[in-house]
Amino acid sequence: MPDQEPYEPERAIAGTGMGGTMDLGASEAITLEQPPGPDGADPRDKPRSLWSDAWHDLRRNPVFIISALVILFLIVISLWPSLIASGSPLKCDLAKAQEGSQAGHPFGFNGQGCDVYTRTVYGARTSVAVGILATLGVAVLGSVLGGLAGFFGGGGDAILSRITDVFFAIPVVLGGLVLLSVITSNTIWPVIGFIVLLGWPQISRIARGSVITAKQNDYVQAARALGASNSRLLLRHIAPNAVAPVIVVATIALGTYISLEATLSFLGVGLKPPSVSWGIDISSAAPYVRNAPHALLWPSGALAITVLAFIMLGDAVRDALDPKLR
Amino acid sequence: MGRYVVRRLLQMIPVFIGATLLIFLMVNVMGDPIAGLCGDRECDPATAAQLRHEFGLDQPVWQQYATYMGNVFTGDFGTAFNGQPVTELMGTAFPVTIRLTIVAILFEIVVGIILGVVTGLRRGRPVDTGVLLLTLVVISVPTFVTGLLLQLLLGVKWGWIDPAVSSEAAFGELIVPGLVLASVSLAYVTRLTRTSIAENRRSDYVRTAIAKGLPRHRVITRHLLRNSLIPVVTFIGTDIGALMGGAIVTERIFNIHGVGYQLYQGILRQNTQTVVGFVTVLVLVFLVANLVVDLLYAVLDPRIRYA
Amino acid sequence: MLLEVRDLHVEFHTRDGVAKAVNGVDYGVDAGETLAVLGESGSGKSVTAQTIMGILDVPPGRITAGEILFEGRDLLKLKEDERRKVRGAEMAMIFQDALSSLNPVLTVGDQLGEMFTVHRGMSRKDARAKAVELMDRVRIPAAKERVKQYPHQFSGGMRQRIMIAMAMALEPKLIIADEPTTALDVTVQAQVMDLLAELQRELHMGLILITHDLGVVADVADKIAVMYAGRIVETAPVHDIYKAPAHPYTRGLLESIPRLDQKGQELYAIKGLPPNLTRIPPGCAFHPRCPMAQDVCRTDVPPLYDVTESDAERGSACHFWRECLHG
Repeated sequence: MPDQEPYEPERAIAGTGMGGTMDLGASEAITLEQPPGPDGADPRDKPRSLWSDAWHDLRRNPVFIISALVILFLIVISLWPSLIASGSPLKCDLAKAQEGSQAGHPFGFNGQGCDVYTRTVYGARTSVAVGILATLGVAVLGSVLGGLAGFFGGGGDAILSRITDVFFAIPVVLGGLVLLSVITSNTIWPVIGFIVLLGWPQISRIARGSVITAKQNDYVQAARALGASNSRLLLRHIAPNAVAPVIVVATIALGTYISLEATLSFLGVGLKPPSVSWGIDISSAAPYVRNAPHALLWPSGALAITVLAFIMLGDAVRDALDPKLR
Repeated sequence: MGRYVVRRLLQMIPVFIGATLLIFLMVNVMGDPIAGLCGDRECDPATAAQLRHEFGLDQPVWQQYATYMGNVFTGDFGTAFNGQPVTELMGTAFPVTIRLTIVAILFEIVVGIILGVVTGLRRGRPVDTGVLLLTLVVISVPTFVTGLLLQLLLGVKWGWIDPAVSSEAAFGELIVPGLVLASVSLAYVTRLTRTSIAENRRSDYVRTAIAKGLPRHRVITRHLLRNSLIPVVTFIGTDIGALMGGAIVTERIFNIHGVGYQLYQGILRQNTQTVVGFVTVLVLVFLVANLVVDLLYAVLDPRIRYA
Repeated sequence: MLLEVRDLHVEFHTRDGVAKAVNGVDYGVDAGETLAVLGESGSGKSVTAQTIMGILDVPPGRITAGEILFEGRDLLKLKEDERRKVRGAEMAMIFQDALSSLNPVLTVGDQLGEMFTVHRGMSRKDARAKAVELMDRVRIPAAKERVKQYPHQFSGGMRQRIMIAMAMALEPKLIIADEPTTALDVTVQAQVMDLLAELQRELHMGLILITHDLGVVADVADKIAVMYAGRIVETAPVHDIYKAPAHPYTRGLLESIPRLDQKGQELYAIKGLPPNLTRIPPGCAFHPRCPMAQDVCRTDVPPLYDVTESDAERGSACHFWRECLHG
């Protein structure tokens, strides 16, 4: 059911009286002693909520603006790669293998004679799709399981905690190798499925922890005492306040998932040719690196910038939502 | 303390079983364990059936798992695809990976902590901003890219190192691979130390130490560092297991014949016993490292008491 | 005068602008004397104390003007290393929250002994013996055994005794106690305060007692300085101020103490909130909350008028101090 009041999270947090103190910067020593101001006469003294305060910060943060623009650009070229690359990533000419930069082919050719520029542009689609879809899956699965476990506690919570322990004990790349090595389907879905399978425990822990914290807040106890139902408590009082850490961790995780897809493709178990992925291109360029380093460097650079953009975005969002870390 | 250790050991059992069973199922159910046994050819049905019987593969999966784990606890990890006992492979592979991990951990401790302390004490200065940006870049560039680039630069272009590590894998050869393996964690250690130092620097007890008239270096080493490094030590401790399990990529790039290499071969040939055997040991290392870290925590922070 | 603060100005750079925390504070304390500095949160009383001790965070803090004369030397002109040697040895500070102010991972013996190893160059063994001696002196039972314990293993009152012991360790000439009993249980407060007063008498130290609790002040202080928005608004001998305050703010503070002889009456509270230090009101900073405010209060900053009536010096920063004193 859609929330009738989309600004509930802001109101809930402002209601705890925390809003006004959230934007005190480096000078905690003095500002902590300082109440909001004389009778709220000055509009600047109005306590801002966590979310609007975060947005206020983000709009002024160059790191956020740059990373958001990079991500926007990546999404656009993922959807319409032909906007900036006219050729086909699969049109290769072995005669031109390993050739360097030349007219119409600014990044040169790779070991199979494919145009590195076109392949780099088309590779964005795989990375962005895997990153976003896997993060959505992980976030939904993890926060539902973790949130319910944190809220209801008891046996289910204990079992879930043990299950997450099990997943944490398995090295991620190793799990990917084992699980994906036998899968023959050459689409992004097995990779996404694998990331969701191994990624949800991380979000589930975060969600569980923040739901438990939110549950102990006085206003939640008050709502409970007033007879609010469990579903109402969870959806209207707890979820809005527990969601911030999940968003932050998920944004940063998105970058690492893109990196994981590339790593698995590099190891030969993620996507396989003829799919287009930066991981594949880096892997196939490695043997020729002596003669054609450009075939390795361009997709590597694109991959690094993409991951960096998502991690910086997550960093900026975290800083904005958690002023204590400044 | 003793009771706490026992309780933790008991808690490790379900996690251990869960993790190994999961890997066992993944390898067993999803692939055909005997596919690799007849070389590159397809096994003929008679041989396949015989092999299945020989390896107990005609039994239900849970029974296979029980038998396998039973054998593991008597020290029999089974046979690898080339007929060698898995324990023998481990005997050659683990020392290599352990050396690689030691190099990586040393990088984390020395470089990570020094950078973290320097930046934590100089927050907002150019050094801080520079190192912080560098850590972001290191975290963002996937390990395999870092590895390939360092190999390209140091090994191919400048010829400072041998692009491939010899089969002895001596410490000297493992410096660059160790740095590559450590890179992402190194950046995390730097950031964690930085945050921790910066946070504790404003703490009341540091203010007390300054008010006592202690010299700056004493305030930092005795009061600030001691407290700030507790979470860092915890992180590095838990990272041991992750590094050993994550060495696959690094070992592949630098052609190091360690745990990752053997696992990769085992997975390619769908050899259950190699894969599950190695993973079992890795999971054990991970669990024990975590336990040690928890106990270490109580040593470092007297407020923690385990009962 | 043991310590004299003259026209001290301190400001902080915050994201909302420059917060003027201390705006021209003058006060002094003699050996053996107790000065109580009174005020709400944000009045600048703690910042002044931190500036005297030299433990102000710079940045964001900045000392823009003033002198701090300690036995005639201006502390603000000393080099950092000379300043450090004064801290702990000649002047010491006791903080409000002993639990967070003591290092959680070092034993109390180490933390007490550190004073002697660092300032006096003693061996660790001798320093440990001194630590036990100090703990005995602040009446911590079983000091010999407890010297090896960590701060969290002590009760709140005992922890504050350790803070006091640490401050007294090198028999400094001046002690600054920043709300030393606020975090304690009411029953323990009096014991700790008595101990502090007793040691002060014994060692003939100057004591600056920072508090927002008028009840604590009456028993131990010789004179009082009341601070508001980074300025001293009234200064007087302790008994005069209780008899007849010369500033409406002091009067408000006094009237907001519950008293047994006024049972059943409504408790007075000063209306409004202390000002935002980035935007201190013009004129008298207290005027938006003052029941006696006139037009002149909104435009002219009142100087600290000399309102001495008997032999003891008194000052009030109120244009209408006469009305206040006699009204």
